[in-house]
Amino acid sequence: MSTVPVEPPLRVRGLRKAFGGLRVTDDVSFDLAAGIVTTLVGPNGAGKTTLFNQITGELAPDGGSIALHGQALLGLAPWQVARRGVARSFQDLRLFGQMTAHDNLLTAMEPATGLWQPGGAARQERRERVAQLLEATGLAAQAQARAVDLSYAQRKFLSLARVMASRARLWLLDEPASGLDRGSYERFVALVRGAVRGGVTVCLIEHNLDIVADLSDRVLFLDRGRLLAEGTPQAVMGDPALAAIYFGERAA
Amino acid sequence: MLAYLINLGVLVGINAVLAVTLNFVMGYAGIYSIAHAVFFGVGAYTAAFVALHLSASLFVTLPLAMLLAAAVSVALALPALRVRGEYFVAASLGLQVIAVTVFSEWKSVTGGIGGVTGIPPAELFGRAVAAPAHFLVLTLACLGAVIAATTLLLRSAFGRSLQALRDSESAAQAAGKNVAAIKTLAVAVSASLAAVAGVLYAHYIAFVNVESFTLDTSVLLMAMVIIGGTGTLLGPLVGALLLMLLPSLFSFMSFLPPTEISAVQQIAYGATMVLLMIFRPGGLVGGNARARS
Repeated sequence: MSTVPVEPPLRVRGLRKAFGGLRVTDDVSFDLAAGIVTTLVGPNGAGKTTLFNQITGELAPDGGSIALHGQALLGLAPWQVARRGVARSFQDLRLFGQMTAHDNLLTAMEPATGLWQPGGAARQERRERVAQLLEATGLAAQAQARAVDLSYAQRKFLSLARVMASRARLWLLDEPASGLDRGSYERFVALVRGAVRGGVTVCLIEHNLDIVADLSDRVLFLDRGRLLAEGTPQAVMGDPALAAIYFGERAA
Repeated sequence: MLAYLINLGVLVGINAVLAVTLNFVMGYAGIYSIAHAVFFGVGAYTAAFVALHLSASLFVTLPLAMLLAAAVSVALALPALRVRGEYFVAASLGLQVIAVTVFSEWKSVTGGIGGVTGIPPAELFGRAVAAPAHFLVLTLACLGAVIAATTLLLRSAFGRSLQALRDSESAAQAAGKNVAAIKTLAVAVSASLAAVAGVLYAHYIAFVNVESFTLDTSVLLMAMVIIGGTGTLLGPLVGALLLMLLPSLFSFMSFLPPTEISAVQQIAYGATMVLLMIFRPGGLVGGNARARS
């Protein structure tokens, strides 16, 4: 362990966002630390995905700051945030439906804009990496199938593989494990743990408390735009007051 | 008869260039433009003006027409960056209407409603390409080059980016793609290649006026792409061939009174579209159902 204090990969301070009178993010501050899995939990409408949207530049906050390795992200377009090493998945997946599984991953590795882009050795390397990713996510046999024709679990894995393909060091995963059977879930956990060991910072949104307890090192509890608590899964989910909010038994 | 076939070949070739370039943005970038005839017109008027005042060499008319069309295409790219789907269709309709007004009112350049006459034949290496058979070869060569250019682009990283943003703009952005720049480039490529058709047309017919570049033409081009198969390589070629040959087919039907042929054509186009959308929604070349995710 290094004794030099390391800047947390992502630092969010005093983030605020309102839609009309509705505060969807209310003075939220937190850090995402490297090498651990942080999970955002909270009832529907707590503002979890809205938080992701603000970090990735899809939604402009009303105030506050977001810094990635000390550099401000606010004001950047989503593609600029992505090129700085932030990858995300979507709850509704948003795969490139008419493209093959192979091309879904290949295009995630080719963010450049120009009409002519360098090929050669880099091209071969990318194709090898696509093959590796398809193998790792159990999609090797579906490489040439269109994304829209894949089964639900296969599409979930393609969505994760697309994040992996980006080589981003910060992953924001929106309900990546929902609807997976036991075997698929274990494959998913192994992939996330492998990435975290490799130094990737992972933040996910999850509703299933077993998954929260199983996979996360740290939990942030959001409700109605406010960050109510943070800590270990046991501490946060063991708090009766938070559990009451989570299960909808809101105290008066 | 041979002269008739050569003439038909040239016109099919010119329309195929337009359909292929429209398919490039419609089928692969999801930009449904009903203003494609504008770039056909910009190419044709530029060729006419340059050929009459500067040089009829294709090495002069082609690059200038392509450049100007690419510049004008910004007018289409700007709304395409803001709105999608039916909103963009409405925006492109606006551009089409403005362009027709400019074409018919900017008399010093376009000759107004009367158009530009006496356009000299195209020159290649100092020799005029005047014989219809030679012009057919030139047209097919241009069509081949346009197909090669668009196909190469679509198979490249750029083409994958285009298809990615067509399928999900927000996911393409999340993958680091500068969607605005990619769309602008795609529209510019499509417009400048469509101008090639305009240059050929102006030299071939030796006369251009606004009639050829109206909304009707844009709609016909869109019909070619849809009937042939949006987002397929062969679709626009099949569509152009079919919709260009259909009128001639009717003119061979001697039992039809000549004055009614155009009405029968319209009915045939309409019926074809309706039947296709029911039985082959992906077009003649495309698959049966292209479900959008």
